[in-house]
Amino acid sequence: MTANILDGIVLGLQFGLLAAGLTLVYGLGGVLNLAYGQMGVISAIVVALAMDAGVPALPAVGVGLLAGGLLGLLLDQTILRPVYRSRGEARVLLSLLLTLGVSFIVDGFLIWRFPLKALSLHIGGGAVEILGVLMRRGSLLASAITLVTIAGLFVFFRRTSLGQAVRSVIEDEEGARMVGIYPSRMLRLILILSGMLAALVAVTRSMVTPVDVTGGLHMTVFALIVTVVGGRGSVAGALLAGIILGIVNVVAADLIGTYVSLIILLGAAAVTILIRPAGLLGVKE
Amino acid sequence: MSDQPTGSAGTSPMGGTEARSARALASLLIPIAAVGAALALVPLWLGDSRVLMGVAVLGLAFVCYTIGFNVIFGSTGQLFLCTGALAGIGGYGAAILTDTVGLPIVVSILIATLAATFTGGLLSFVAVRRSLGVIFTGIVTLIFSMSFEALLLGLSDLTGGDTGRLIYSGTDTFLREQIPPYYLMLALVLVFLLVHGLLQRSYIGWAFRALRDDEVAAELAGVDVARYRVYAALIGAAMLGLAGSTYALTEGRLSPTTFGFGQVDIVVLVMLAFGGIGTLFGPTLGAVTFTVVDEILIDFGQLRQVAYGILIIVLFLGMPRGVIPTVASLWRRVRGLEGSDAAKSTGSAAGRLESVPGESQSAE
Repeated sequence: MTANILDGIVLGLQFGLLAAGLTLVYGLGGVLNLAYGQMGVISAIVVALAMDAGVPALPAVGVGLLAGGLLGLLLDQTILRPVYRSRGEARVLLSLLLTLGVSFIVDGFLIWRFPLKALSLHIGGGAVEILGVLMRRGSLLASAITLVTIAGLFVFFRRTSLGQAVRSVIEDEEGARMVGIYPSRMLRLILILSGMLAALVAVTRSMVTPVDVTGGLHMTVFALIVTVVGGRGSVAGALLAGIILGIVNVVAADLIGTYVSLIILLGAAAVTILIRPAGLLGVKE
Repeated sequence: MSDQPTGSAGTSPMGGTEARSARALASLLIPIAAVGAALALVPLWLGDSRVLMGVAVLGLAFVCYTIGFNVIFGSTGQLFLCTGALAGIGGYGAAILTDTVGLPIVVSILIATLAATFTGGLLSFVAVRRSLGVIFTGIVTLIFSMSFEALLLGLSDLTGGDTGRLIYSGTDTFLREQIPPYYLMLALVLVFLLVHGLLQRSYIGWAFRALRDDEVAAELAGVDVARYRVYAALIGAAMLGLAGSTYALTEGRLSPTTFGFGQVDIVVLVMLAFGGIGTLFGPTLGAVTFTVVDEILIDFGQLRQVAYGILIIVLFLGMPRGVIPTVASLWRRVRGLEGSDAAKSTGSAAGRLESVPGESQSAE
């Protein structure tokens, strides 16, 4: 049981981190990026290709993160430009539909170029014992990277003035504009960050279990659910929701079987949305 | 087909409301009959090929799905991302009820359709009760879709899991012949068009338009927004369930991809966006066009998906009202420039969605 809960927490933190990238963009710019998972998958492929070409693991991951960030910037500069012209719910809907188109293009291209290929990055290897539980080194490394990234995110948002500027835009865009913060610049920054987060999660996931090249939509949907449960624009909410859902998922999978656990997970998410539409830690609008 | 059946100046003025409603009914029935006649000719052309007839039947099933989705999303703005799941309740429900439970085919189709109707109504009721916006309704129904898919994979005794299942009932009937299923689905399409058309012309349709354009204003004008949203979901879900179960019985085999989110919901969204959201004939034109294009591009395999991605982006960026309404209003503007002032005034009215049937007609 302990092993399961540990597994659940690791999975949950990865869910949470994944959702953090999505929820920040949603909270900051009212943009729901449905090509989010694909950004991660492309980055993981870049890492795999780099490692196949003989690049050591660490620089390869660095290149992957860079690729994720560039994809975020690319989205901001191209497909999202017309989205920025609309407001409110129309903006969310337009962003959702356009990035859905992007995700189609990416998926179609990836299936065509890399048919039937699952990504499995061999970093780490071997197993070690923690709290009396045997854990694979790859998944430990993945959890460590996840934890460090989360700590980094908190330091960024609490301690640096840039992070505080981003938070101020999420809380009150007009107010932020009045004190001289450019919401559009913050959004560009956060899109780059979100691309890097997607890349990081895809890479760490593929260290634990194989990731399908068409797994982008799946990643996006999970991130979306965790985002909504956690509350729009709240990184802490995304992490909390991620951990809860991760534990529910793993424990239910162990007790009842995988498909029922998925239904329980989804049901839990739906109930949370219905009871608290603002999310666990979201701000009511 | 370019004749406008509505409001002809030449006929003698008919005073009574009865005559007016007869004319209104004709303006609805004539275009539907035209669509039916055009689609009824397809088997004369493709009837020899079993494969192409299969594609045509699936195309008509998608016409039905798109009409059902349009009634829910297009009429009342509820983003139901569970078109496939609701149709799947119909399809799998009918399969299980006939084969496993042993009920007659018609009864099982009815029960499965009722189940889909109830589910759709319940989803809408919950969404309306919690006053979820477009996005949240989308996410809750998306969650429902995913749960349904998980259930299909999990209950493999009933559904055959990943590989799917065969339906043995109806094997020796007309349902499995080459051409009759096409006409059965076509009949469904025509009935759905008629139901949607009558809805648009009724008090309910008026309420739908009012609440879609401005929810608050509609509420102030005495429209029970919550009630009409649930009505739309019930009607749309009934269409989806009926189409899904009928299609399943003609096809004779089901798999999770038959009603998958990626295979149905997204495709239906593109078809509707192409044809024109909220219009009467948009779903039919969008789905038919899309089926034909898909068949032409079949050799491109996965690159088709790239093309659809580009199409989605172009559609929503360039013509958010749908290709057909945009082309129709362009055409009208051109004609308006040549014609008299009266023609010009109809041209500006076409900018709104009210004169829907006329619009799609001139696009044909």
